[in-house]
Amino acid sequence: MTLNLCVLTPNRIVWDSEVKEIILPTNSGQIGVLPNHAPIASAVDIGILRIRLKDQWLTMALMGGFARINNNEITVLVNDAEKGSDIDPQEAQQTLEIAETNLNKAEGKRQTIEANLALRRARTRVEAINVIS
Amino acid sequence: MAMAAVLRREGRRLTQPINALHSSLISQDQAPHGSRSISTQVVRNRMKSVKNIQKITKAMKMVAASKLRAVQTRAENSRGLWQPFTALLGDNPSTDVKKNVVVTVSSDKGLCGGINSTSVKISRVLHKLNSGPDKETKYVILGEKAKAQLVRDSKKDIELSLTELQKNPLNYTQVSVLADDILKNVEYDALRIVFNKFHSVVQFLPTVSTVLSPEVIEREAESGGKLGELDSYEIEGGETKSEILQNLAEFQFSCVMYNAVLENACSEQGARMSAMDSSSRNAGDMLDRLTLTYNRTRQASITTELIEIISGASALEGFPG
Repeated sequence: MTLNLCVLTPNRIVWDSEVKEIILPTNSGQIGVLPNHAPIASAVDIGILRIRLKDQWLTMALMGGFARINNNEITVLVNDAEKGSDIDPQEAQQTLEIAETNLNKAEGKRQTIEANLALRRARTRVEAINVIS
Repeated sequence: MAMAAVLRREGRRLTQPINALHSSLISQDQAPHGSRSISTQVVRNRMKSVKNIQKITKAMKMVAASKLRAVQTRAENSRGLWQPFTALLGDNPSTDVKKNVVVTVSSDKGLCGGINSTSVKISRVLHKLNSGPDKETKYVILGEKAKAQLVRDSKKDIELSLTELQKNPLNYTQVSVLADDILKNVEYDALRIVFNKFHSVVQFLPTVSTVLSPEVIEREAESGGKLGELDSYEIEGGETKSEILQNLAEFQFSCVMYNAVLENACSEQGARMSAMDSSSRNAGDMLDRLTLTYNRTRQASITTELIEIISGASALEGFPG
Protein backbone atom coordinates (compact mmCIF):
# COMPACT_ATOMS: atom_id res chain seq x y z
CA MET A 1 0.00 0.00 0.00
CA THR A 2 1.29 3.44 -0.76
CA LEU A 3 0.80 6.45 1.41
CA ASN A 4 0.24 9.84 -0.18
CA LEU A 5 1.12 13.03 1.60
CA CYS A 6 -0.13 16.43 0.61
CA VAL A 7 1.01 19.49 2.54
CA LEU A 8 -0.91 22.64 1.67
CA THR A 9 -0.57 26.24 2.75
CA PRO A 10 -2.82 29.06 1.65
CA ASN A 11 -0.20 30.26 -0.79
CA ARG A 12 1.08 27.10 -2.37
CA ILE A 13 1.35 23.35 -2.35
CA VAL A 14 4.48 22.44 -0.43
CA TRP A 15 4.44 18.68 -0.85
CA ASP A 16 2.36 16.36 -2.95
CA SER A 17 3.80 12.90 -3.44
CA GLU A 18 4.18 9.41 -2.08
CA VAL A 19 5.93 8.78 1.24
CA LYS A 20 6.70 5.71 3.36
CA GLU A 21 6.03 7.09 6.79
CA ILE A 22 5.51 10.42 8.53
CA ILE A 23 5.65 11.69 12.07
CA LEU A 24 3.15 14.44 12.66
CA PRO A 25 3.31 16.98 15.49
CA THR A 26 -0.15 17.26 17.06
CA ASN A 27 -1.37 19.17 20.08
CA SER A 28 -1.34 15.98 22.14
CA GLY A 29 2.09 14.77 21.04
CA GLN A 30 3.61 13.26 17.96
CA ILE A 31 1.89 10.59 15.92
CA GLY A 32 3.60 8.30 13.50
CA VAL A 33 1.57 7.44 10.44
CA LEU A 34 2.18 4.32 8.40
CA PRO A 35 0.13 2.99 5.50
CA ASN A 36 -3.40 1.80 6.36
CA HIS A 37 -3.79 4.14 9.27
CA ALA A 38 -7.27 4.56 10.72
CA PRO A 39 -9.19 7.66 9.58
CA ILE A 40 -8.24 10.53 11.80
CA ALA A 41 -8.71 14.28 11.90
CA SER A 42 -6.28 16.11 14.07
CA ALA A 43 -5.07 19.56 14.97
CA VAL A 44 -1.45 20.14 14.01
CA ASP A 45 0.79 22.03 16.38
CA ILE A 46 3.72 24.28 15.59
CA GLY A 47 6.44 21.67 15.15
CA ILE A 48 8.47 19.49 12.88
CA LEU A 49 6.96 17.09 10.43
CA ARG A 50 9.27 14.19 9.66
CA ILE A 51 8.89 12.45 6.35
CA ARG A 52 10.49 9.15 5.39
CA LEU A 53 11.21 8.39 1.76
CA LYS A 54 12.71 4.90 1.57
CA ASP A 55 15.61 5.29 4.01
CA GLN A 56 15.93 8.99 3.96
CA TRP A 57 14.31 11.26 6.50
CA LEU A 58 13.22 14.78 5.60
CA THR A 59 11.96 17.49 7.89
CA MET A 60 9.47 20.24 7.44
CA ALA A 61 8.63 23.09 9.80
CA LEU A 62 4.83 23.37 10.24
CA MET A 63 3.17 26.45 11.68
CA GLY A 64 -0.03 24.97 13.01
CA GLY A 65 -3.14 23.79 11.25
CA PHE A 66 -5.00 20.55 10.59
CA ALA A 67 -4.39 17.10 9.26
CA ARG A 68 -6.74 14.55 7.85
CA ILE A 69 -5.83 10.94 7.26
CA ASN A 70 -8.14 8.73 5.29
CA ASN A 71 -7.67 5.89 2.83
CA ASN A 72 -3.89 6.26 2.80
CA GLU A 73 -4.26 9.93 1.91
CA ILE A 74 -2.75 12.40 4.33
CA THR A 75 -3.79 15.99 3.86
CA VAL A 76 -2.01 18.51 6.03
CA LEU A 77 -3.40 22.04 5.98
CA VAL A 78 -1.19 24.53 7.72
CA ASN A 79 -0.78 28.27 8.02
CA ASP A 80 2.73 28.00 6.73
CA ALA A 81 5.23 25.26 5.99
CA GLU A 82 8.86 25.20 4.98
CA LYS A 83 11.08 22.32 4.03
CA GLY A 84 14.07 22.03 6.33
CA SER A 85 16.39 22.16 3.34
CA ASP A 86 14.84 25.42 2.14
CA ILE A 87 15.40 27.35 5.33
CA ASP A 88 18.39 29.65 5.50
CA PRO A 89 20.24 28.66 8.73
CA GLN A 90 21.64 32.11 9.40
CA GLU A 91 18.35 33.86 8.87
CA ALA A 92 16.53 31.33 11.06
CA GLN A 93 19.08 31.73 13.83
CA GLN A 94 18.74 35.49 13.68
CA THR A 95 14.97 35.29 13.83
CA LEU A 96 15.29 33.05 16.87
CA GLU A 97 17.49 35.59 18.63
CA ILE A 98 15.12 38.42 17.79
CA ALA A 99 12.21 36.36 19.08
CA GLU A 100 14.09 35.68 22.34
CA THR A 101 14.82 39.35 22.96
CA ASN A 102 11.22 40.22 22.09
CA LEU A 103 9.98 37.77 24.69
CA ASN A 104 12.15 39.37 27.36
CA LYS A 105 10.85 42.79 26.38
CA ALA A 106 7.20 41.73 26.19
CA GLU A 107 4.79 43.38 28.60
CA GLY A 108 1.28 42.30 29.39
CA LYS A 109 -0.46 39.01 28.75
CA ARG A 110 -1.22 39.46 25.08
CA GLN A 111 2.29 40.46 24.13
CA THR A 112 3.79 37.63 26.11
CA ILE A 113 1.58 35.07 24.41
CA GLU A 114 2.40 36.46 20.99
CA ALA A 115 6.11 36.58 21.73
CA ASN A 116 5.97 33.01 22.98
CA LEU A 117 4.32 31.85 19.78
CA ALA A 118 6.87 33.71 17.69
CA LEU A 119 9.65 32.09 19.69
CA ARG A 120 8.18 28.64 19.15
CA ARG A 121 7.92 29.26 15.43
CA ALA A 122 11.51 30.46 15.27
CA ARG A 123 12.73 27.53 17.33
CA THR A 124 10.91 25.05 15.13
CA ARG A 125 12.59 26.46 12.05
CA VAL A 126 16.01 26.19 13.61
CA GLU A 127 15.31 22.65 14.76
CA ALA A 128 14.09 21.68 11.31
CA ILE A 129 17.52 22.52 9.91
CA ASN A 130 19.53 20.91 12.65
CA VAL A 131 17.84 17.55 12.44
CA ILE A 132 19.35 16.92 9.04
CA SER A 133 22.90 17.98 9.77
CA MET B 1 -18.86 48.73 -18.68
CA ALA B 2 -19.70 51.82 -16.69
CA MET B 3 -17.35 53.73 -18.88
CA ALA B 4 -19.06 52.27 -21.91
CA ALA B 5 -22.39 53.47 -20.59
CA VAL B 6 -20.97 56.92 -20.07
CA LEU B 7 -19.67 56.91 -23.59
CA ARG B 8 -22.98 55.77 -24.91
CA ARG B 9 -24.76 58.52 -23.03
CA GLU B 10 -22.28 61.02 -24.34
CA GLY B 11 -22.82 59.60 -27.80
CA ARG B 12 -26.56 60.03 -27.61
CA ARG B 13 -26.24 63.57 -26.42
CA LEU B 14 -23.75 64.22 -29.15
CA THR B 15 -25.47 62.72 -32.11
CA GLN B 16 -28.39 65.09 -31.87
CA PRO B 17 -26.60 68.37 -32.49
CA ILE B 18 -24.50 66.67 -35.11
CA ASN B 19 -27.56 65.31 -36.85
CA ALA B 20 -29.05 68.76 -36.64
CA LEU B 21 -25.91 70.13 -38.20
CA HIS B 22 -26.01 67.45 -40.78
CA SER B 23 -29.61 67.91 -41.77
CA SER B 24 -29.11 71.64 -42.04
CA LEU B 25 -26.31 70.86 -44.45
CA ILE B 26 -28.39 68.57 -46.58
CA SER B 27 -31.23 71.03 -46.86
CA GLN B 28 -28.84 73.78 -47.76
CA ASP B 29 -31.29 75.61 -49.90
CA GLN B 30 -33.60 76.03 -46.94
CA ALA B 31 -30.87 77.41 -44.75
CA PRO B 32 -31.09 81.04 -43.82
CA HIS B 33 -29.65 83.21 -46.45
CA GLY B 34 -26.04 84.15 -45.97
CA SER B 35 -25.02 81.24 -43.68
CA ARG B 36 -22.40 79.68 -45.84
CA SER B 37 -20.23 77.68 -43.50
CA ILE B 38 -20.89 76.08 -40.18
CA SER B 39 -18.37 76.11 -37.38
CA THR B 40 -16.76 72.70 -36.93
CA GLN B 41 -15.35 73.66 -33.57
CA VAL B 42 -17.94 71.65 -31.59
CA VAL B 43 -17.24 68.44 -33.46
CA ARG B 44 -13.49 68.93 -33.15
CA ASN B 45 -13.80 69.38 -29.40
CA ARG B 46 -15.86 66.24 -29.11
CA MET B 47 -13.36 64.32 -31.12
CA LYS B 48 -10.61 65.45 -28.85
CA SER B 49 -12.47 64.44 -25.69
CA VAL B 50 -13.43 61.05 -27.11
CA LYS B 51 -9.81 60.47 -28.05
CA ASN B 52 -8.75 61.29 -24.51
CA ILE B 53 -11.33 58.95 -23.03
CA GLN B 54 -10.12 56.22 -25.32
CA LYS B 55 -6.57 56.75 -24.15
CA ILE B 56 -7.66 56.45 -20.54
CA THR B 57 -9.68 53.30 -21.07
CA LYS B 58 -6.84 51.73 -23.01
CA ALA B 59 -4.42 52.49 -20.19
CA MET B 60 -6.85 51.10 -17.63
CA LYS B 61 -7.16 47.93 -19.64
CA MET B 62 -3.39 47.48 -19.64
CA VAL B 63 -3.19 48.06 -15.91
CA ALA B 64 -5.99 45.58 -15.26
CA ALA B 65 -4.32 43.00 -17.47
CA SER B 66 -1.02 43.18 -15.62
CA LYS B 67 -2.72 43.14 -12.22
CA LEU B 68 -4.77 40.17 -13.32
CA ARG B 69 -1.69 38.16 -14.19
CA ALA B 70 -0.21 38.76 -10.77
CA VAL B 71 -3.32 37.84 -8.85
CA GLN B 72 -4.40 34.94 -11.04
CA THR B 73 -1.55 32.61 -10.11
CA ARG B 74 -2.17 33.26 -6.44
CA ALA B 75 -5.88 32.65 -6.79
CA GLU B 76 -5.16 29.36 -8.50
CA ASN B 77 -2.73 28.35 -5.77
CA SER B 78 -5.22 29.18 -3.06
CA ARG B 79 -7.76 26.77 -4.53
CA GLY B 80 -5.75 23.81 -3.28
CA LEU B 81 -6.35 24.61 0.35
CA TRP B 82 -10.03 25.06 0.01
CA GLN B 83 -10.74 21.71 -1.58
CA PRO B 84 -9.69 19.43 1.33
CA PHE B 85 -12.02 21.34 3.61
CA THR B 86 -14.88 20.73 1.27
CA ALA B 87 -13.90 17.07 1.18
CA LEU B 88 -13.91 16.85 4.98
CA LEU B 89 -16.73 19.15 6.01
CA GLY B 90 -18.66 19.37 2.79
CA ASP B 91 -20.33 22.44 1.41
CA ASN B 92 -23.93 22.46 2.51
CA PRO B 93 -25.68 25.55 1.27
CA SER B 94 -29.05 24.03 2.14
CA THR B 95 -28.39 23.61 5.85
CA ASP B 96 -31.23 25.23 7.75
CA VAL B 97 -30.03 27.25 10.73
CA LYS B 98 -31.22 30.18 12.77
CA LYS B 99 -28.46 32.73 12.59
CA ASN B 100 -27.25 33.29 9.08
CA VAL B 101 -24.51 35.64 8.09
CA VAL B 102 -24.05 36.56 4.47
CA VAL B 103 -20.51 37.67 3.73
CA THR B 104 -20.56 39.65 0.50
CA VAL B 105 -17.20 40.06 -1.16
CA SER B 106 -16.96 42.96 -3.59
CA SER B 107 -14.42 45.39 -4.94
CA ASP B 108 -13.53 48.84 -3.69
CA LYS B 109 -13.30 50.36 -7.12
CA GLY B 110 -15.87 50.53 -9.86
CA LEU B 111 -15.65 50.31 -13.63
CA CYS B 112 -15.50 46.55 -13.51
CA GLY B 113 -18.69 45.38 -15.14
CA GLY B 114 -21.44 43.65 -13.27
CA ILE B 115 -19.49 41.59 -10.76
CA ASN B 116 -20.44 43.71 -7.77
CA SER B 117 -24.10 43.87 -8.62
CA THR B 118 -24.08 40.11 -9.15
CA SER B 119 -22.74 39.45 -5.67
CA VAL B 120 -25.20 41.92 -4.21
CA LYS B 121 -28.05 40.27 -6.04
CA ILE B 122 -27.03 36.81 -4.85
CA SER B 123 -26.64 38.13 -1.30
CA ARG B 124 -30.14 39.57 -1.39
CA VAL B 125 -31.52 36.27 -2.60
CA LEU B 126 -29.73 34.43 0.22
CA HIS B 127 -31.05 36.97 2.67
CA LYS B 128 -34.58 36.40 1.49
CA LEU B 129 -34.23 32.61 1.42
CA ASN B 130 -32.92 32.48 4.95
CA SER B 131 -35.33 34.90 6.51
CA GLY B 132 -38.24 33.63 8.50
CA PRO B 133 -40.18 34.16 11.71
CA ASP B 134 -37.54 32.71 14.03
CA LYS B 135 -34.54 33.13 11.77
CA GLU B 136 -32.37 36.11 11.16
CA THR B 137 -29.85 36.99 8.50
CA LYS B 138 -27.17 39.62 8.74
CA TYR B 139 -24.75 41.03 6.24
CA VAL B 140 -21.01 41.34 6.54
CA ILE B 141 -19.68 43.36 3.65
CA LEU B 142 -16.21 43.51 2.21
CA GLY B 143 -15.56 46.28 -0.27
CA GLU B 144 -16.96 49.70 -0.96
CA LYS B 145 -19.21 48.82 -3.87
CA ALA B 146 -21.44 46.23 -2.22
CA LYS B 147 -21.67 48.48 0.82
CA ALA B 148 -22.95 51.35 -1.29
CA GLN B 149 -25.61 49.13 -2.81
CA LEU B 150 -26.74 47.33 0.32
CA VAL B 151 -26.77 50.36 2.59
CA ARG B 152 -29.64 51.72 0.56
CA ASP B 153 -32.26 49.13 1.40
CA SER B 154 -30.95 46.91 4.20
CA LYS B 155 -28.99 49.20 6.43
CA LYS B 156 -30.36 47.65 9.60
CA ASP B 157 -29.14 44.19 8.63
CA ILE B 158 -25.54 45.19 8.06
CA GLU B 159 -23.50 43.94 10.96
CA LEU B 160 -20.05 44.85 9.79
CA SER B 161 -18.48 46.36 6.72
CA LEU B 162 -14.82 46.41 5.85
CA THR B 163 -13.26 48.35 3.03
CA GLU B 164 -9.87 49.11 1.56
CA LEU B 165 -8.99 45.47 1.52
CA GLN B 166 -6.81 45.68 -1.54
CA LYS B 167 -4.73 48.64 -0.56
CA ASN B 168 -1.80 46.30 -0.03
CA PRO B 169 -1.35 43.13 -2.01
CA LEU B 170 -3.55 40.44 -0.52
CA ASN B 171 -1.84 37.96 1.73
CA TYR B 172 -3.02 35.19 3.97
CA THR B 173 -2.00 36.83 7.24
CA GLN B 174 -4.04 39.90 6.46
CA VAL B 175 -7.07 37.87 5.45
CA SER B 176 -6.91 35.64 8.51
CA VAL B 177 -6.79 38.70 10.77
CA LEU B 178 -9.83 39.94 8.92
CA ALA B 179 -11.58 36.59 9.30
CA ASP B 180 -10.82 36.68 13.01
CA ASP B 181 -12.35 40.14 13.20
CA ILE B 182 -15.51 38.92 11.57
CA LEU B 183 -15.79 35.87 13.82
CA LYS B 184 -15.26 37.98 16.91
CA ASN B 185 -17.92 40.51 16.05
CA VAL B 186 -20.63 38.37 14.59
CA GLU B 187 -22.72 35.57 16.03
CA TYR B 188 -23.42 32.90 13.49
CA ASP B 189 -24.64 29.42 12.83
CA ALA B 190 -23.73 29.52 9.20
CA LEU B 191 -21.59 31.89 7.21
CA ARG B 192 -22.42 32.16 3.57
CA ILE B 193 -19.66 33.75 1.57
CA VAL B 194 -20.71 35.26 -1.73
CA PHE B 195 -18.05 35.99 -4.30
CA ASN B 196 -17.30 35.78 -8.01
CA LYS B 197 -15.29 32.72 -8.83
CA PHE B 198 -12.80 33.35 -11.58
CA HIS B 199 -13.39 31.03 -14.48
CA SER B 200 -11.74 32.79 -17.36
CA VAL B 201 -11.04 36.41 -18.27
CA VAL B 202 -14.58 36.83 -19.51
CA GLN B 203 -16.42 34.39 -17.28
CA PHE B 204 -17.10 34.70 -13.58
CA LEU B 205 -19.35 32.42 -11.64
CA PRO B 206 -21.16 33.91 -8.70
CA THR B 207 -20.45 31.40 -5.95
CA VAL B 208 -21.64 30.73 -2.42
CA SER B 209 -19.44 28.86 0.05
CA THR B 210 -20.99 27.84 3.31
CA VAL B 211 -19.05 27.62 6.55
CA LEU B 212 -20.97 26.11 9.44
CA SER B 213 -20.36 26.88 13.07
CA PRO B 214 -18.75 24.13 15.19
CA GLU B 215 -22.01 23.45 17.02
CA VAL B 216 -23.88 22.95 13.78
CA ILE B 217 -21.12 20.71 12.44
CA GLU B 218 -21.30 18.56 15.54
CA ARG B 219 -25.07 18.38 15.43
CA GLU B 220 -25.12 17.48 11.75
CA ALA B 221 -22.39 14.90 12.19
CA GLU B 222 -24.20 13.19 15.04
CA SER B 223 -27.55 13.17 13.31
CA GLY B 224 -25.74 11.44 10.44
CA GLY B 225 -26.91 13.89 7.83
CA LYS B 226 -24.68 15.10 5.06
CA LEU B 227 -21.82 15.42 7.50
CA GLY B 228 -22.22 11.87 8.85
CA GLU B 229 -18.94 10.91 7.27
CA LEU B 230 -17.12 13.17 9.71
CA ASP B 231 -18.05 10.82 12.52
CA SER B 232 -15.94 8.06 11.00
CA TYR B 233 -12.84 10.10 11.76
CA GLU B 234 -11.19 9.88 15.08
CA ILE B 235 -10.68 13.42 16.31
CA GLU B 236 -7.26 13.91 17.82
CA GLY B 237 -5.10 16.56 19.28
CA GLY B 238 -7.19 18.62 21.68
CA GLU B 239 -8.93 18.50 25.00
CA THR B 240 -12.35 18.04 23.54
CA LYS B 241 -13.89 17.37 20.19
CA SER B 242 -15.74 20.66 20.18
CA GLU B 243 -12.53 22.56 20.75
CA ILE B 244 -11.00 20.95 17.70
CA LEU B 245 -14.09 21.58 15.66
CA GLN B 246 -14.03 25.21 16.76
CA ASN B 247 -10.46 25.60 15.57
CA LEU B 248 -11.24 23.71 12.42
CA ALA B 249 -14.20 25.94 11.60
CA GLU B 250 -12.14 29.06 12.17
CA PHE B 251 -9.32 27.78 10.02
CA GLN B 252 -11.77 26.76 7.35
CA PHE B 253 -13.36 30.19 7.39
CA SER B 254 -10.06 32.01 7.01
CA CYS B 255 -9.01 29.73 4.17
CA VAL B 256 -12.33 30.04 2.39
CA MET B 257 -12.17 33.80 2.87
CA TYR B 258 -8.68 33.91 1.47
CA ASN B 259 -9.75 31.98 -1.57
CA ALA B 260 -12.90 34.08 -1.97
CA VAL B 261 -11.07 37.36 -1.73
CA LEU B 262 -8.46 36.28 -4.25
CA GLU B 263 -11.00 34.86 -6.67
CA ASN B 264 -13.01 38.04 -6.43
CA ALA B 265 -9.96 40.22 -6.99
CA CYS B 266 -9.16 38.11 -10.01
CA SER B 267 -12.68 38.43 -11.39
CA GLU B 268 -12.61 42.16 -10.74
CA GLN B 269 -9.50 42.64 -12.82
CA GLY B 270 -10.81 40.37 -15.55
CA ALA B 271 -14.12 42.19 -15.65
CA ARG B 272 -12.39 45.54 -15.68
CA MET B 273 -10.21 44.38 -18.52
CA SER B 274 -13.13 43.37 -20.71
CA ALA B 275 -15.14 46.45 -19.73
CA MET B 276 -12.28 48.75 -20.63
CA ASP B 277 -11.69 46.84 -23.82
CA SER B 278 -15.26 47.32 -24.94
CA SER B 279 -15.27 50.98 -23.98
CA SER B 280 -12.09 51.58 -25.96
CA ARG B 281 -13.84 49.93 -28.87
CA ASN B 282 -16.94 52.05 -28.37
CA ALA B 283 -14.81 55.17 -28.22
CA GLY B 284 -13.18 54.11 -31.48
CA ASP B 285 -16.57 53.63 -33.14
CA MET B 286 -17.70 57.00 -31.92
CA LEU B 287 -14.55 58.63 -33.12
CA ASP B 288 -15.12 57.12 -36.57
CA ARG B 289 -18.63 58.52 -36.68
CA LEU B 290 -17.46 61.93 -35.55
CA THR B 291 -14.62 61.98 -38.04
CA LEU B 292 -17.06 61.14 -40.81
CA THR B 293 -19.40 63.95 -39.81
CA TYR B 294 -16.53 66.34 -39.45
CA ASN B 295 -15.08 65.54 -42.85
CA ARG B 296 -18.48 65.72 -44.50
CA THR B 297 -19.15 69.13 -43.03
CA ARG B 298 -15.76 70.36 -44.09
CA GLN B 299 -16.20 69.01 -47.61
CA ALA B 300 -19.66 70.53 -47.85
CA SER B 301 -18.44 73.97 -46.90
CA ILE B 302 -15.59 73.70 -49.38
CA THR B 303 -18.00 72.67 -52.08
CA THR B 304 -20.29 75.57 -51.27
CA GLU B 305 -17.45 78.01 -51.45
CA LEU B 306 -16.23 76.59 -54.74
CA ILE B 307 -19.69 76.81 -56.24
CA GLU B 308 -19.93 80.39 -55.17
CA ILE B 309 -16.58 81.31 -56.66
CA ILE B 310 -17.19 79.48 -59.91
CA SER B 311 -20.69 80.82 -60.38
CA GLY B 312 -19.46 84.30 -59.53
CA ALA B 313 -16.72 83.99 -62.12
CA SER B 314 -19.00 82.58 -64.78
CA ALA B 315 -21.49 85.35 -64.10
CA LEU B 316 -18.73 87.88 -64.77
CA GLU B 317 -17.81 86.09 -68.01
CA GLY B 318 -21.24 86.88 -69.37
CA PHE B 319 -20.36 90.60 -69.49
CA PRO B 320 -17.98 91.25 -72.34
CA GLY B 321 -15.26 93.74 -71.74
